Amino acid sequence: MRSIDIHAHVTPQSYIKAMKEGQVWHGVGPGPLDIEPQLEWTPEQRIKDMDSLGVDVQVASTGAQFYYYGGDAQVIAAMHRECNDEVYQMTIDHPDRFKGLAQIPMQNVDLAIAELDRCVNQLGMAGAMIDDKVNGKTFDEPEFLPLWKAAEQMGAVFLIHQGGGTLVAPRTRSYHLPNTIGNLVDRAVTFASFVMGGVMDACPDLKICLAHGGGYACYGVGRMDRSWDVGRLPQIPQPPSAYLSRFYYDCLTHSESALRMLIDMAGIDKVVFGTDWPFDMQIDWPVAWVLSLESLTQDEKEAILWKNMEKLLGMSSD
Amino acid sequence: MRSIDIHAHSTPQCFQRAVLSGNDWHGMTTADGELFNPRNAWTPEQRIADMNSLGVDIQVVSTNAGFYQYDKDVAVTTAIARDCNDEIYQMTMDYPDRLAGLANIPMQDASAAIAELDRAVNQLGMKGAMIGDQVNGKTFDEPEFLPIWQAAEQMGAVIFIHQGGSTIGTKRQPRYHVRNTIGNLADRAVTFAAFTFGGVMDKCPDLKVLLAHGGGYACFGIGRMDRGWQVRSEARVNIDQPPSNYLNKFYYDCLTHSEPALRMLIDTVGIERIVLGTDWPADMKIDWPVSWVMGLQSLTLEEKEAILWKNLEEMLGL
Repeated sequence: MRSIDIHAHVTPQSYIKAMKEGQVWHGVGPGPLDIEPQLEWTPEQRIKDMDSLGVDVQVASTGAQFYYYGGDAQVIAAMHRECNDEVYQMTIDHPDRFKGLAQIPMQNVDLAIAELDRCVNQLGMAGAMIDDKVNGKTFDEPEFLPLWKAAEQMGAVFLIHQGGGTLVAPRTRSYHLPNTIGNLVDRAVTFASFVMGGVMDACPDLKICLAHGGGYACYGVGRMDRSWDVGRLPQIPQPPSAYLSRFYYDCLTHSESALRMLIDMAGIDKVVFGTDWPFDMQIDWPVAWVLSLESLTQDEKEAILWKNMEKLLGMSSD
Repeated sequence: MRSIDIHAHSTPQCFQRAVLSGNDWHGMTTADGELFNPRNAWTPEQRIADMNSLGVDIQVVSTNAGFYQYDKDVAVTTAIARDCNDEIYQMTMDYPDRLAGLANIPMQDASAAIAELDRAVNQLGMKGAMIGDQVNGKTFDEPEFLPIWQAAEQMGAVIFIHQGGSTIGTKRQPRYHVRNTIGNLADRAVTFAAFTFGGVMDKCPDLKVLLAHGGGYACFGIGRMDRGWQVRSEARVNIDQPPSNYLNKFYYDCLTHSEPALRMLIDTVGIERIVLGTDWPADMKIDWPVSWVMGLQSLTLEEKEAILWKNLEEMLGL
């Protein structure tokens, strides 16, 4: 039994050092360092925690606070190169324990493609983690199509993960709802944007993994289908539910019945292991949690914990 | 076998007479009232002929959400609400066996809202009121609304929650009908959370809140709200129990457009909390609602009867 976690975050050591020394880092700071203590850990400390949790491999992504899509593209491209070089070093120092997901400057599609190409083809990273939106634009905007085409050709995976304010924040900021509801609404809207914007038809081999179990996409797809049924989505040849199995989803639902529904609707081959390490909204003992789920078969648990990720990332199983 | 539909709309004839003859009606025009849908012009007699064809015995009629008009001067909104309510009252008088009513109330002013709810329920025999998910940006955990909930609780009035105006998600993704297919369901999840995390359900244990569209994403997304309650103090300021404990304090209509979603709702909140709601006559309605419920293979006959009429009969005292 192995386990490969696609949803685990990193804070660049170069950023931590700069903040502690009161320096500016790619236009950020100087300012206080306000991060989870685990995010200051060295890769070796991280591996000890992975050992304790039973996680064999983390596909590490620099945290969403480093998207900075609102910043100058050249400045942020340099920031992202430094983030990616650090994650690359982790994967070189501990090749059995870490794979990487890149940061790419989505505010400039040419620069984003260039950095994705460098990370995937030179640094051996799996793909990139990106937000649900770029300065208010959703991913059905034609300007992003060259990026999806390039990623499709590279075989790169996109992990979709919100950054900054979610859609719930303008309605309420109370009770942690911008996260607990907002993340899941953001993900449903991104599913809809990719599907209804025709991206999944234009890029049949594009690999997109929707974090947080794809949010509300699977549960809410019936209402999207109704919209197609009554002729409101003439641009796509099939109802939205037919596209559910075109995406990957992490298992971060915090609910067995929700995960069961996701498996039943998207297919067990589309659900992968994702924990949100090391944040408070993570799955605390993620391997134990998956193994304890009574409504999943042993085959389903193994598919989620490692088999699907090995296939998705082209990793060898021995 | 009977059937009672709590989610069925009307565009008042008094409004139509005014705007179609070139006048405004309390500041509203032909741009309002969903006149593009010919069924909204039907007389009560035509409505009943359609109900006969659909097998719906009783509609609990509410005006379309465009008649909320919460952003107007409270005197104007109150006049709109009174005209709407008087017309629905007349429908229920003319067809007491076929039609019951839900009121419009001016939510931007709690005293005025309570006064109109009292008139509608205690003088006109209406069953409660339909209201939006927000009032000029305010959610229902705001203390100014508490007197309305307490008054409704005392009257035994049902508060039917149904979005109006711009939903969550609309601003980011204005295309593909997402404002409706995702936005309605996101709005409802936030309203569930506002009532629950805001402590309203503890303060008003007998308040009857009915969440339209199957309560949106509340049931599927509850695991993440529970996790938020576990790890964040701001989620616990008003409630001593996790939000999932409150799911069975609400009522839900069956308008999920998905059998697995409805099945999950039943399993999560309890069959006694789910009622028939069709969204007649909008295009996003259930086309043949009684036939749809009767055709669901994962429901027992008892569950179908509970949804189609038994739960509403008990709740409304019909």
